[in-house]
Amino acid sequence: MLKIENLHAEIDGKEILKGLSLTVNAGEVHAIMGPNGAGKSTLGYVLGGRPGYEVTAGSVTFDGVDLLELEAHERAAAGVFLGFQYPVEIPGVSNVQFLREALNAQRATRDEKPLSGGEFLKLARGQADLLGMDYDMLKRPVNVGFSGGEKKRNEMVQMGIVNPKFAILDETDSGLDIDALRVVGDGINRIMRAPDKAVLLITHYQRLLDYVEPDFVHVLADGRIVRSGGKELAQQLESEGYVGIAA
Amino acid sequence: MSSLSQILPGTGRGTSEAGGGGAPLGVSSVEAPLHPAATRRGPPPRAGEDLRAELPSTREESWRWGDPAAIVAAAELPRGVASDAGEWFLDLPGARAVFVDGVLDEARSDLRHVAIAQIDGGAHVLGRRTTGTGWSIRVEANAEAELFQIVHIATGGENQLPAEIMLADGASASVVETYVGAGWSNRSTRMTLGKGAKLTRAVRLLQTDGFVSLRDEVDIHAGASLIATVLGAGDAGTRIDGSIIVSGDDAFAEYGGALLTRNDQRQECAVSVRHAALNGQSKQIWRAVAADKSTASLAARVEVARDAQKTDGVQSLRGLLLQRTATVNLKPELEIFADDVKCAHGATVGELDQRALFYMQSRGIPHAKAQALLTRAFVGDAFVQIADETVREAFVADADAWLERAL
Repeated sequence: MLKIENLHAEIDGKEILKGLSLTVNAGEVHAIMGPNGAGKSTLGYVLGGRPGYEVTAGSVTFDGVDLLELEAHERAAAGVFLGFQYPVEIPGVSNVQFLREALNAQRATRDEKPLSGGEFLKLARGQADLLGMDYDMLKRPVNVGFSGGEKKRNEMVQMGIVNPKFAILDETDSGLDIDALRVVGDGINRIMRAPDKAVLLITHYQRLLDYVEPDFVHVLADGRIVRSGGKELAQQLESEGYVGIAA
Repeated sequence: MSSLSQILPGTGRGTSEAGGGGAPLGVSSVEAPLHPAATRRGPPPRAGEDLRAELPSTREESWRWGDPAAIVAAAELPRGVASDAGEWFLDLPGARAVFVDGVLDEARSDLRHVAIAQIDGGAHVLGRRTTGTGWSIRVEANAEAELFQIVHIATGGENQLPAEIMLADGASASVVETYVGAGWSNRSTRMTLGKGAKLTRAVRLLQTDGFVSLRDEVDIHAGASLIATVLGAGDAGTRIDGSIIVSGDDAFAEYGGALLTRNDQRQECAVSVRHAALNGQSKQIWRAVAADKSTASLAARVEVARDAQKTDGVQSLRGLLLQRTATVNLKPELEIFADDVKCAHGATVGELDQRALFYMQSRGIPHAKAQALLTRAFVGDAFVQIADETVREAFVADADAWLERAL
């Protein structure tokens, strides 16, 4: 589904990714772990198409398409979802309006008919219920006044509504208490655990992986994947730290 | 203003005896306006050198961001054909008027409680030029007037139109005005709100070319309330001059809006609210959005007289630059002589939040649409005081239409 080859990327002239290669097949959950500054968030932003990140070498193909050639919104329409480490507050734009615009814009890009107001509200209400989010929060401006946990929960509601093929979740576990972690973990499994879908979990810690069991764990250090393994690698990292393993 | 004696007859004044509205409803319990009447009157000049000499210079502080040359250019636009007014009326009951180049189009108007009368445009440099035949609403004590909608169609050249709204104690009225077409449309509207009176006014400036200048003078008596909202979302130049006096205790004045500019357009407002009585409240919420090489300027002033204790003023001026070649000027002014006063004020200019733009794009919203959503949210702050949903939706739709063109 996703094939990254020898990816080099820089921001403000500083090289962050230095030859990263990774293949994610349909039905797989991959976890990317690594110390601060290794380039984990940069990888997410480069895959999401954030302006300012320049790819200087390498390639990324998604379902056979050159992902780097697509605009950020086209990547979303192609089925890529980027869950933010710090979801952005948007005063004056309600969650409902934002999500309906987003979903219908994706559908338009894919030449699909827009959902009616009623169809959309039913979908949004259902996803909010499943993630234990109060429906009233959907009417509030996007993330404004939300707690850290509520913002992450909102990311999952959004993911449920747009129903992507491939999700890159950047530290979705940070700022969550134990109960919220379980809700978010369950959400990821419910929405994304399917034979035709895949997930790239970017995380610092093992604890989310207790809920979302990865098929593969990769250690990212200094812009490259320095080690890959199964879920036991995450446990090893948790007990031994990155120093020995990343070296 | 020594050249008044040389002024040629006006070209745009509504001189026809357009009546048809019946007698005004009102009684004469409304006090005379505080603003002195014009001492010299006369028809406006033709465009050109005479007009240029009549207009203020940008060396004057209150016109430092003004664009008198654009007024002259607008007045010189050739006359054309009046567009259809129907599409500009909102789907609301009440009285309606169509003014074509400042002249009432009786066939397309239904004046009801509105009268056509000789009206003094006041002493203001632009306002006084309107002195002549205009529209008048007088509402008697404790009466509620129907909504009055006006579509002003300019076809070129200059046109002048004075107006007055006189609300007796406890009366209420609501006016919606829409400006379309091209040319220089110059207006003076003098409003007096008796004790406990309520006036809501909404003005949509949608001319595609030329210039619209509004002079508003309002006197608000005890316990009365004014809510006025102006949206500049056309391609014409704009000058909004407002002088609001809160002369009675416990009165409320809200005067704000949004100016959206693009290409090399210039729009500006210069509005002052003077608190002269106890317990007054005022709000000035203005938003400016400037694209391309345009300039939007907001000058808002609050004066609190020595005796106007317990005044509660809010002033919020915010500008948004859609490109770095655009300009937003903000001039918030507070002059406070009372010592027990609350006056909140803020003035900021910025660009769209790049993080928010990317967040929206990452969810599938194209860049231009994301810009439009964020800009609409920014502008929306200036429309929240519009109580009538149909009017508010029209303002939002006008802003959306502007965004479609600008982005």
